[in-house]
This record gives sequence, structure tokens and C-alpha cells, in this order.
Amino acid sequence: MLIVFAALFLLLLAAPVMAGILRILRPAAAWGDAVSAVITVMALASGLAATIGMWLSGIPLTLDATRFSPFVFQLSIDRLGGFFLFLVCAVSIPAVVYSLPYTGNHYGNAQRTCYWVLLPLFLLSMVLVVTGASVFAFFLGWELMTLLSTALIVLEGDSGERRRSIFIYLLMMHAGAALVISAFLLFSPYVPGLDFASIRAAGALLPGSLKAAIFLLAFIGFGTKAGIIPLHLWLPKAHPIAPTPVSALMSAVMLKTAVYAFLRFVFDFLGGGPEWGGYLVLGAGAISCVLGILYAMFETDLKRLLAYSSVENIGIIYLGIGASLICVKAGEPAVGGLALLAAVIHCLNHAIFKSLLFLGSGAVHHRTHTFNMNEMGGLHRRMPVTALLFLIGCVSIAGLPLFSGFVGEWLAFQGFLGGAQLAAATPQVVLPLMAGVLALTGGLGAACFVNVYGSIFLGRPRTPAPEAAYTDEVPRSMLASLAVLGSACVLIGLVPVVVIRPLWPLIQALVPGADYGIVSPISGGISKAAVVVVMVAASTVLVRSALRRSAIWACGLSGLTSRMEYTASAFSKPIRTVFAAVYKPERKLEVLPTEQPYFPNAISYRSRRTTSYEQMLYRPLFDSLMNVAQQFRRLQTGNIQLYLLYIFLALLSMLLLMRFR
Amino acid sequence: MGLISNAASHALSSSTVLIFLTLLLLAATKRLSTCISLFIVQSAVIAAQVFAIAHLHHSAEAYIVGTVVLVLKVIAIPWVLFYLVKKLRTTRDVKASLSPAPSVFVAAALILVSFSAVQSYARELNVARDPLAAAVAIMLMGCFLMITRNKALAQILGLLILENGIFMAALVTTFGMPLVIEIGIAFDVLMGVFLMGLFTFRIRDSFADLDVSKLRRLRG
Amino acid sequence: MTAVKLLQFVVLLASAPLARGIIARLKAILQRRSGASVLRPYYDLWKLFHKEEIVPASASWLFRAGPRLAFALTVTAAAVVPVLCGSGLLSFSGDFILLIYLLAFARFLMMLGALDPGSSFGGMGASREAMVSALAEGPLLLSLIAVAILAKSGNLAGVVAWTTGQNFFDISAVHVLALTALIFVVLAEAGRMPVDNPTTHLELTMIHEAMVLEYSGPSLAFIEWAHALKLNLLIALIIALFAPWGIAAQTGMIALLLAAVIYVVKLFLALLAVAVLESVVAKLRMYVVPEFLGIASALAILAIVFTVILKR
Repeated sequence: MLIVFAALFLLLLAAPVMAGILRILRPAAAWGDAVSAVITVMALASGLAATIGMWLSGIPLTLDATRFSPFVFQLSIDRLGGFFLFLVCAVSIPAVVYSLPYTGNHYGNAQRTCYWVLLPLFLLSMVLVVTGASVFAFFLGWELMTLLSTALIVLEGDSGERRRSIFIYLLMMHAGAALVISAFLLFSPYVPGLDFASIRAAGALLPGSLKAAIFLLAFIGFGTKAGIIPLHLWLPKAHPIAPTPVSALMSAVMLKTAVYAFLRFVFDFLGGGPEWGGYLVLGAGAISCVLGILYAMFETDLKRLLAYSSVENIGIIYLGIGASLICVKAGEPAVGGLALLAAVIHCLNHAIFKSLLFLGSGAVHHRTHTFNMNEMGGLHRRMPVTALLFLIGCVSIAGLPLFSGFVGEWLAFQGFLGGAQLAAATPQVVLPLMAGVLALTGGLGAACFVNVYGSIFLGRPRTPAPEAAYTDEVPRSMLASLAVLGSACVLIGLVPVVVIRPLWPLIQALVPGADYGIVSPISGGISKAAVVVVMVAASTVLVRSALRRSAIWACGLSGLTSRMEYTASAFSKPIRTVFAAVYKPERKLEVLPTEQPYFPNAISYRSRRTTSYEQMLYRPLFDSLMNVAQQFRRLQTGNIQLYLLYIFLALLSMLLLMRFR
Repeated sequence: MGLISNAASHALSSSTVLIFLTLLLLAATKRLSTCISLFIVQSAVIAAQVFAIAHLHHSAEAYIVGTVVLVLKVIAIPWVLFYLVKKLRTTRDVKASLSPAPSVFVAAALILVSFSAVQSYARELNVARDPLAAAVAIMLMGCFLMITRNKALAQILGLLILENGIFMAALVTTFGMPLVIEIGIAFDVLMGVFLMGLFTFRIRDSFADLDVSKLRRLRG
Repeated sequence: MTAVKLLQFVVLLASAPLARGIIARLKAILQRRSGASVLRPYYDLWKLFHKEEIVPASASWLFRAGPRLAFALTVTAAAVVPVLCGSGLLSFSGDFILLIYLLAFARFLMMLGALDPGSSFGGMGASREAMVSALAEGPLLLSLIAVAILAKSGNLAGVVAWTTGQNFFDISAVHVLALTALIFVVLAEAGRMPVDNPTTHLELTMIHEAMVLEYSGPSLAFIEWAHALKLNLLIALIIALFAPWGIAAQTGMIALLLAAVIYVVKLFLALLAVAVLESVVAKLRMYVVPEFLGIASALAILAIVFTVILKR
């Protein structure tokens, strides 16, 4: 098994090397990418095999590479890391397969090689994060993940607007990383080596205040990467501008590595965190999921919409984690286990359906060359298979039963309901109210994704130009990756036991005292209902009647033009009006010519969301940062002697520090 | 246990629930006549409470108080109010300065505040907590309605609701004030309503509107 | 026992059009009209099932599959509701949550079906329906959860059993608040009067009718049946949760018959209430509907808070 585990890393290193070598040897050959892709898929498959092997035996796999490195460098798969490694590998395979036609279409030769060098390395960085068992290994992966994803974004172009987004991305990621480092440093006085095993052992001995400080640092540090509101600022900027398969990986997998790290800190190292910790996580989750989906609703750019919906889903995951922390602290590990199971399952499901939707959006872009939903429409006729698979993704993400998104939410509801039976008054009120928050999110999510599917695939084309460009379905390999993800959504949705049962050991490892007794009766209900739905739906086929195709009702006029159709913006208008206080929209309506307001030749309508709290929160921070940066600029004179002086002073102060220790 | 005794013994605790509901709906409603109807319901619930206490304690005095409440607050005062509404020929709206949904949230908060306020007090006095909380909540809501409703008639209604709260608080803590005082207060309120009714006519004549925010114009 | 559960499920399914007919008749009587027969909805369904179906040229397979699937989902939701005996045909922990989401899924499909042909009416209806349903889901779930918390049970059967054991006069604040919130939400969900006018065909006001404008024949029949069933099952749910007294405790023929009679009386009272409400209440303006549902949310939240206040 260890060899298989090692193969994961070696193959992921080999793939970019092969891509580079083939580029040099056979510059014109198109199959160079395929070789790299095949090696990457083999690597990911070996990762899956290693995880499954570990899962069945229950014994952690550990690779110690300290010999080859100046620091403690350990890699290991335990239950927690193993689950996330599975998630990384399983979701990446379709993304890698999808990348082949994508790069073939979008990039020139040089860019393509860069892509196939960077992509396996990006995957490697994520694998490092979830398998790293020492601070150095973890952090190497953590930083590489940021840098490599940035490199992949740059590959798609670096115009001014994009540079600004990338800058914000890097800035926030490094601020988050600084907090994460501080969290690790706070452990250091109590930990001899910097491997996770000794941190775990030290975790129990820490004084309460230190634990609280570490918890807070980890919460903010990893929260930045996970994209919880108000730390989400980078997410809707960075995700949409990446190459589509990378967007999928970033939303589906990279965000989950932050959830992994947070779980590792809170459950594994700190054993639950402070009393108020659960409420903090719960609050962040509630705000993220409601605001996330509301912001998503405002978007008409498909990828930005999906990015905001990732914020929402991370919020749902945090709701589960928060509820679990509260229940564990209150001495109800059975309910705590249920809530954590909800969070973990939603991690898996979100990874699957979000990559399905991102890859689907890429397929749509492949044919229409736009992400603007207001310009699409009626695509189901040209791309019926993509439409079906995208629909599965939409139903799943809307959290509707018989599809995968519902499973996590359903478990979370049960957890909140169980929370009402806790002893203390606060969780008794707070947890059931969270069910209301989750229901509101679910309702808005359904509305949002009706809009997405409806305006892209249904109806009639809204702009005349793309109609000519629509040809037919996207390449088979794209469809194959979508189909794999789609069928996973359906399978998990219909028979949730297939994920609940295997995931249970993970819950037991994190929440001692978790009780499968309260989970097992829950998991069967959905399947029972599914049987009834399928039976009744099948029997409706018995009703047969004559069928006639006809034009749509146009109030007696000769026909409707595409300009009369509801657009995505029009669809979301009522909800946007209801939540105007959240959006604080800035509207601009121009009717031309102005002297005939009722018979205009042209109307232009623009609506922009101005979220004031972002300015309130970030503006002073940003200003002070710029001020400090201005101060530091004075250090940069360009004079080489001065730089030597800096080095000299640094050396001197180190020596003095050694002296006075 | 007979049906009536069963009902009577649960009356005080159960009717508080209905009072909460009337308070929340009072916050939600925008129409003056609906507000008056809700006031009738609230007064009827309070009258029922008095009768329930009378039944359980076999107190003739309480029957009289109950009858007075019934006649005055369920029949006479609402009749006067409906008459005013009809006679003043005003718009149906109460001119709320806060829209319904936020008002209901405020009302809910007021109910919770009154619960937390009477928590220890009720234990000390050894009286039922929920009815006492309901009484406090009625008073708070009366004030809230007077603050946020701009129409003069709605303000009268707020005052009447406030008085309902005081009456109920007395009912809960001492099982009713002495009969004479009770009746005195009741007629006091009736006279108050008449007087204020006259004032509303004057306000309407002077300002051609019932919006009390227009009274600001009186300032020199 | 299973036979009884199956029976109540079938009765719920079959009586849905009748309930609609009764409301229409009661409304007619209240408006001093003689009104159509209470069996009218059955005739309508029969007629629609035998008619030719006209499908817009621009529609996809979803246009026809949507109503059928939505019907199947609503029927499954009905299987969860206890009517005559203390448990539904399907009964498991968290069944009421699944019920809400099955209905949500049905609505999701109806909205897609409305968007499918690309007509302006469909978009208008779906967009409005999206707003109403998104805001209704929270209070609906919260009020059911409030009752479940009080009963310390995770499924409908447990709640019904607990409520049956309570004294009728011992009304709890939780129940009154949750019931009020639930009535508000049910009116919105079932597309009844203050939120949506089921008899209108005026494009400025309609929600549900705008969504189904393009439908005809069997598809429309499935939609209408599912819509009627939704109202019927939500009323049955309210009766089961808030006034289950008289539900059959054992399976004897007499107990069952008695339960059926009592249920019919309760159902009739509920339908009468709907009819009276629809006759006296005016339809709310579109943008007052969120206020209406906001009030329901406040009530439902307060119900949850009261579950804790009442305990101490």
C-alpha cells in the first residue's frame, strides 16, 4: 500500500516532467498533453487506491521523507486526511479528462504545455495539504496551492482587470497564510518536533486561553481560504477568471482543503476548541450561506454565480461544523456526530456537483463563447446531453430530494432538530433557528438554479448571433467527465447509505461517542420515498394522448420575439426587490429617445450591487495597509550598499538574540 | 372534571397565548377597523379570564367585574370607535411609521423582553409567570402602537390596549383590584375615549387630516 | 395496519379534487350564486385526460416530464401525512422535512416547465413563484420543527401521538404561533387567496395560472390534480399536527369509521374557513406578499423561542 501511496507523488511529479520533455522532443505533437493527462490520471487513481486500502484496513499510512529534507517532512493518510484525499483525487480525474479538449481548443502550443506542467503540480500541492503530517509538508502544499493556482489563472490572460483580481487573491491568501503560521507557532513552545502527531499530543495540554487564540487564528486563516463571508472577497474575483477546469478544481476541491485544515485543527489538535467556538462557526456559516446565495442570485455571469454559490455551500458546511462543535461541547456527541456527518457529506457532494456545474458551464462556453446568461437560451436543442447533466447538477445544488445536495442538508436539519434537546437554553434556541436559515438558503438556492437552468437551456435563444454559432454537442470526453459526476449525484441522492456508511469511521474518529444508532434510521427514509416517486412517475406514463406541436400563446399577436422573453435578470428581479436592503443596488435606466418614453427605440438598464459593508470593513484596512507599504517603500532605495546594510543588521540582531536568549 | 371546569382551570395560561397572538396581529395589521376588532378579541379574552377566575373562586364580585369589562370593552368602547371611524370618514390605514413585518419582529422582541423582565419577579410574588408576562407585553405593545401609529384614532387604541395591560397585571397579581376601583377605572377610560373622540373631530376640522404628526404645525 | 395506511393515502389522493370542488361551491354560496357541482373538478380532470395535448414548438422534454414528475413528488409527499391512523404510509425520522422538500422539488419542476417554452407569461409566473416559495420555505419548516421540538419527536407519527395525549384546553403558545404561521404559509404555498387568486386570468396578478398557461390535456390534468392534492395534504397535515384528537388508535372497523367521520368534519371546517377567507379577503399586492411571509417568519421564530421559554 505504501508503494501505491508513494506512486501518487512520483507520478504527479512525473507528469509535468513528461509534458516538458515531450514539448522539447516533439514540439508539434498533439498527443503530448494526452501523455501527461494519462500519467496524472494514473497518479490520482493510485491515490484513490491508497485511500481505499487505508480505509478498509483502518491503519494510517505514513511516508517519512525527513531524510531527504532539512525539516521534519512526513506524509500520511489517516481517516480525516484520507477522506479529503479521496475527494481531491476523485473529483480531479474528471477535471483532468475534461482539460484535454479544453486546452486543445483554447490554447496555443506554449500555453498548453504550461497548463499541463502546472495542472499536475497544482493537484500535487492539494494532495500535499491533505496528506501532510508535519508542519513543513502541510505548509509547502498550502503555499504552492495558492501560487500554482495563480499561475494557472495568469495562463488565461493578464489584462488590467484580471491583474487586480489576482492581486486581491494573492494578498488575501497570504494574509490568511500568515495567520495559519501564527497558529502553528503558538503550538511550538509545547511541541518538540513539528510533526502532527506531537502537536496532537500537545493539544490536550495547552492552557485554555492559548487554545482559544489558536482556534481564532485557525478560524480566520482557513476561513479566508474557504471563502466565508466577510473573508470571501477574493473568491468571486479569482474563481471565474481561471481556466474552467481549474475553476472547477478551485471551487470543488481547493476550498475543501481549507475545511480539511480547519477540521484538523479544531477536532484533531484542539479537541473541540473554546465554548464560544461553535457559535462563531455557526454564525459565519449562517451569514455565508444566506448572503452567498443572495449574491449569486444577483449575478448574470454564470461563473461568478457559481463562485458565489460556493460561498453559500461553504456556509452550509460551516453550519454543520458549528452545530457539531456546540453539541460536542454540550456533551451530546451523538447529535454532534450527526451534524458533522452532514458537513462532511456536504463537502463531498458540493465537490461533485460544483465541478459538474463548472465543467458544464465550460461546455456551454465551448459552444456559445459567452458566460452571460442573458444572452443564452434554448440550448437544450443543440446540446441535449449537456443539458440533462447540467440539470442534474442544478437539482443537486438546489438541495432537492432524490439528488445528492439534499442528503447533507437533510442530515443537518436532523442535527438541528436534535440540538433542541440539549440541556442549555442557548443551543436550544439557536440550533433550531439555524434550520430556518438553512431552509431560507434552500429556497433561494432553488430559485437561483431554476433561473440558471431556465435561462441557459430552456426557452428560446435570447440573442440572434449565438444561434448561428451553436453547432452541436461538445466532445465526448467532456461529456464523459460530466456524466461520471452526474451519475454520482444521482446515486448518492437515491441511496445515501452508500456514502453515509463508509464515512462513519471518520465521524467516529473525530467525535468520540458518535452513535450510528441515530443515523441509520435516517438514511433509509430517502430511498423509501425515492421508490414511491419512481413508481408513481412510471405509472403516469400509462396516460397517453395525442400530441400536437404548436406555437406559443402570444395574446393573439403574430408571435413573440426573443426580446419579449424573460431574461435571467428579469427572473431574479422580484427576489432582488425583496432583498434590496442587502444589495443596495445602484440602478441606471436609460430610455431612448427620451421624448417618447412609451415607444422607445432602445432601453439600457444596468444594475450594480454596492455592498456597503465591504467598503466599511475593507477600506480602512486597505488604506492603512497602503500607508504602511508607503513607509516601507523608503527602505527600497535601490542602493546596493543599503541592502547589504540590511543583511548585516539582520545578521547582527540574530546574533544578539542568540546571546540574550 | 367537567368540561367548563377543565376549560376554566386552563383559561389563564391558555388565554395568554391568544393575547400574544392578538398583539402580534395588531403589529401586523394596517387597517384601523381590523385593529379595533383585534382589540375586541383581546378584551374578550381578558373578560373570559375574569369569568374563569370567578368560576374557580366562586366570587360574585369577579362576575360583576367581568360583566363590566364585557359591556364596556367588548361592546361599548369598540362601538364608539367604529362610530368614530364611520363618522370621521377617514382612510382605513393606521399610517404606521414601521411596515408590518418589522413591526411583528419588534412585537416578538417585546414579548421576549417582558418574559425575561418578569422571570424573577413572578417567582418572588409566586404568581403565574406567563400571564404576568402577557400583561407586561400588552402594556409595551400599547406604547409601541402609540409611538409608531400616526393616526389619532390608532393612538386612542394604543392607550386602550395599554389599559388592558394594566388591568390584566392587576388581575394576575392580586386576582383583581377591589370592585369599586375597577369600575371607577373602567368608566374613566370610557370618558377618556369620549373626550379623545371629541379631540379627533377637532383635529380633523383644523388640519383636514387625522395624522397627529401634523400637530407639529402647532409649534410657533 | 398497512391496509389502513394505504387506504388513507388513496383517500387523500382521490378526495383532493373534491376538496377543491367544495371550496368553490362554498364560495359560490357565500357570493349568493348557486355554483357548480362539487364533483366538477373530477369532470374537468376526466375531460383533460382525454384531450389532445398541445406542446409549444420551442419546448424540451422537460415540458411534459415536469408535470408528471411533479405529480409523482406531490403524491409521495401525501404518503407521509397521517390522516385516519396515527402514521402515514411512509414514516421515518425527519419525514416532515422530506415532505417539505418533495413539494419544493415539485415546484422546482413546475417553474422549469413554465420557463421551457420561452413565453413571457411563463417567465413571469415562474419568477413570482420563485419569490413566494423561497420566502415560504423558512417559516414552513420552522413551524413544523417547533411542534416537533415540543413533542420531542423527529417524525410525524410521534408528534401526532404526543398531541393526542394532550389536554385540548392546555393550548401552548408554541402551537398557536406555529399554527398561525403555518396557515399563512399554506395559503401562500397552495396559491390561495391573499397571495394568489386561483380564479384569475389577469396577467398583472396571476402566479400559478401564469406558470401553467401553455399547458393542456393530460399534462394540465396532472398539474391541476397535484395542485389540489397539495392543498388537501397541507390541510391534512395541519389537522394531524394541531387537532389530531379523534384519530384512530387501533385498527378496528368502528374506530376507523369514527376517525373517518371526525376527519371529514374537521376537513369540512377547514375548507369552510378557506372559502370564507377567500370571500372576505382581498388579494395582496405582489410586493406585499414578502411582508405577509415576513410576518409568518416572525411568528415561526417566536414559536421556536417559546419552545425554550415554556420549558423553564
